[in-house]
Amino acid sequence: MLQGILLTAAVPLGTSLLTGCGSGTPGQPAGDGSSNGRKVINFWSQQFEDWQSAWEKKHVAAFNASQKKFQVNLQIVPADAWAQKLKAAQAAGNGPDVYTISYGNIGSAVSTGALAPLNDLIKGQYLDDIDPSIAKFVSAKSSPSASLKQYAYPWLVEPSTVMFYRKDLFQAAGLDPDKPPTRWDQLPDIAAKLKKGNVYGLGTASVAADLSWSSWGLQQNAAGHYPVKTDWSSADPTIAPYQELANFYKSLYTSGGMPKQALSAYADGTPLGQGKLAMQITGSWFIGLLRQQFPKMEDKIAAAPMVSIDGDQTRPTATLGGWTLAIDAKSKVQEGAADFITYMLASGDDVMMDYFKASGWSKYATRTSIVKAIDADSSAQADPFRKLITDKIVKYGVPEATYPIDLSTDMATAIEKTMKGTSADQALATAKQQMNQYINNNKLVGTNTQSSVQSGS
Amino acid sequence: MTTSNTDAGVAATNALSSTGAASAAPVEARTTDRTPRTKRHRHPRRDNLVAYLMLAPMVVLLIIFVIIPFINAGYLSFFNWSFYKPSEFVGFRNYVNVLEDPDFLGSIGRGLYFAAMVVPTGMILAFVFANVVKGLGKKLSGFVKTSVYIPTIISGVIASIIFVVIYDYSGGILNWFLGLFGVQPIAWLADPSIALPALAVPAVWIGFGITALIMLAGMLDIPDSYYEAASLDGAGWFKQMLFITIPSLKNVILYLLIAGFTAAIQEINLPLVMTQGGPLNSTLLPNLYLFNHFTQDTYQGMPIAGALLLFIVLGAISAAIFSILNSDKAVDG
Repeated sequence: MLQGILLTAAVPLGTSLLTGCGSGTPGQPAGDGSSNGRKVINFWSQQFEDWQSAWEKKHVAAFNASQKKFQVNLQIVPADAWAQKLKAAQAAGNGPDVYTISYGNIGSAVSTGALAPLNDLIKGQYLDDIDPSIAKFVSAKSSPSASLKQYAYPWLVEPSTVMFYRKDLFQAAGLDPDKPPTRWDQLPDIAAKLKKGNVYGLGTASVAADLSWSSWGLQQNAAGHYPVKTDWSSADPTIAPYQELANFYKSLYTSGGMPKQALSAYADGTPLGQGKLAMQITGSWFIGLLRQQFPKMEDKIAAAPMVSIDGDQTRPTATLGGWTLAIDAKSKVQEGAADFITYMLASGDDVMMDYFKASGWSKYATRTSIVKAIDADSSAQADPFRKLITDKIVKYGVPEATYPIDLSTDMATAIEKTMKGTSADQALATAKQQMNQYINNNKLVGTNTQSSVQSGS
Repeated sequence: MTTSNTDAGVAATNALSSTGAASAAPVEARTTDRTPRTKRHRHPRRDNLVAYLMLAPMVVLLIIFVIIPFINAGYLSFFNWSFYKPSEFVGFRNYVNVLEDPDFLGSIGRGLYFAAMVVPTGMILAFVFANVVKGLGKKLSGFVKTSVYIPTIISGVIASIIFVVIYDYSGGILNWFLGLFGVQPIAWLADPSIALPALAVPAVWIGFGITALIMLAGMLDIPDSYYEAASLDGAGWFKQMLFITIPSLKNVILYLLIAGFTAAIQEINLPLVMTQGGPLNSTLLPNLYLFNHFTQDTYQGMPIAGALLLFIVLGAISAAIFSILNSDKAVDG
């Protein structure tokens, strides 16, 4: 009976007792401790692809060897354990000094005072090198009267919605592989045509947990904005474009070409690599998976921008998600942490070029100088996916929604309900009521720390 | 029904001591007769001191890991708490927010429905199984008992993954098997009407072994003389089960009901790994609701308030079961 309480209630006390006065890294001293005369910086990174962990280990070691003042201790944390581990450590006052944080979470972290601003810690020339459109993602005001500051250094961006498809199966179904669909209303028919035996025509998100974030790009595609106002004063998901969006997902689900139960989570492109799907909507990170795990399939698979509501592919279809490095507001080694971030992400070209090469050019740079360096690289120029995704998807990409995920989940639940039989009208009306209740109960009005750098309804 | 191993051990001890009271009582009576009253109470203070010393470690641990966090949780539930900025007192707002959230109330109702599927099913299967094992030879029953206990020691996460593979839509064993009879693939974990029952199956499977062994322990402690006397009076198998076995297992059943209900309502591994609470929240059980809010919310007051409300719900359920099934001392004839 007490498990329920201990799950949350014991966190503040229990974690402090368990972790004691040490760092969150067992066996390591705290952030203000020292190791061989060096000050220790605890760096927690969420676990991504294996090649990325190898890159992190290699360059953390290089940083430690490059100077004698600081010792960075890298801890790679599995994604499914990340949130509770970080929260428990922060509750106990043992959070890491530097950690990975996604663009969408920066705003709420700033609102609670969890992040240290970088403007006084990292040289201006390195902050100025950030692409201006990406710099907005990491900028926020800690209070309405505070000045706009940068709270994280962008690492990479990756569009969350790309349409990957099998050219050979297109041909076999009598479709032109050089002319993938461009409009919403074309996709259900094509998915149905591509269904052959155990190979399904299309895979995409079909449950609220996945739809909550993967549908952001199409919400923008339909309406040009999110259903929540920029000042977070109210939400209206019942407008006609969102009804069209919910019905679009329903048409996919009922087309006969899509499995009734997703073959994988939205972020996992494995079924396409395994040959179980003819088309899969997922993020650009699939390119890395394809090259690492399914190299024999690479010639058979092409990428295209996601279909648009009216066929206009200059409308956004994808959000630009991705990762940054931030410094904990309570860290006692903020200057060293800033030096480390500068070494890894901000200064010179070598470290980041090594990263993007290792990614198989499947990630996209956030610094103007790195974008130029990649454009000049012959292997990047020859990459079949890179130019298309850069020019046709990233170019029109939009930032992720930064309001609490509960609101996105309400919207996603409405879409899922519509897919599974409820009318879009009714489902979205319920979502509207729930979203506005959440806004009122949690007093969200005026708490968006990034409202000054966002455009919205 | 998912009971922890520690709970199981305590239950087995309770079951044995309670149902075994009939045989133990005469021994105790004999000992008491031979022990002079004055000698027994010669060093009461020393006895008390030893008892307190033996209790102390558990009391200290309970204070550190249960009582203080509990009081701290009650205090924090009245604040917006974010670890970095000073907490803001919000009165009962966190409680109001939780109670106004249809997802929380829905998760409580769903938890009760889930427990109602899992606990009685598990107990009936365990009862039947224990009856069968009781009649087996020593070697065979040892093998069967060990086999049936294995799911209990498998991690809930591993069990969840095993059943995800079984329920997989396009390559799962279950749909493959049904396909042999021409049945189209079923979306076991994506259809809101069947996802929760689909989760109940592994829950029963995980808890079956320990429930069955506790039942068996209780049954083995019922004196054979009861059955012999009943046979002489002409009672058949069914009447013996109804008037001897079940009443003698009353305390065991009470324990299993309370432990089973509280564990089933609090199930988190299965929905977290298998469905993440979907589809359409149809598998969002209370602890997963709290876990999601703990990991996603900007402030922590609301999940703590929710945890305390869940505590009240679980306490009320336990009290209700106690009052319905009075926990008397064992029936010793």
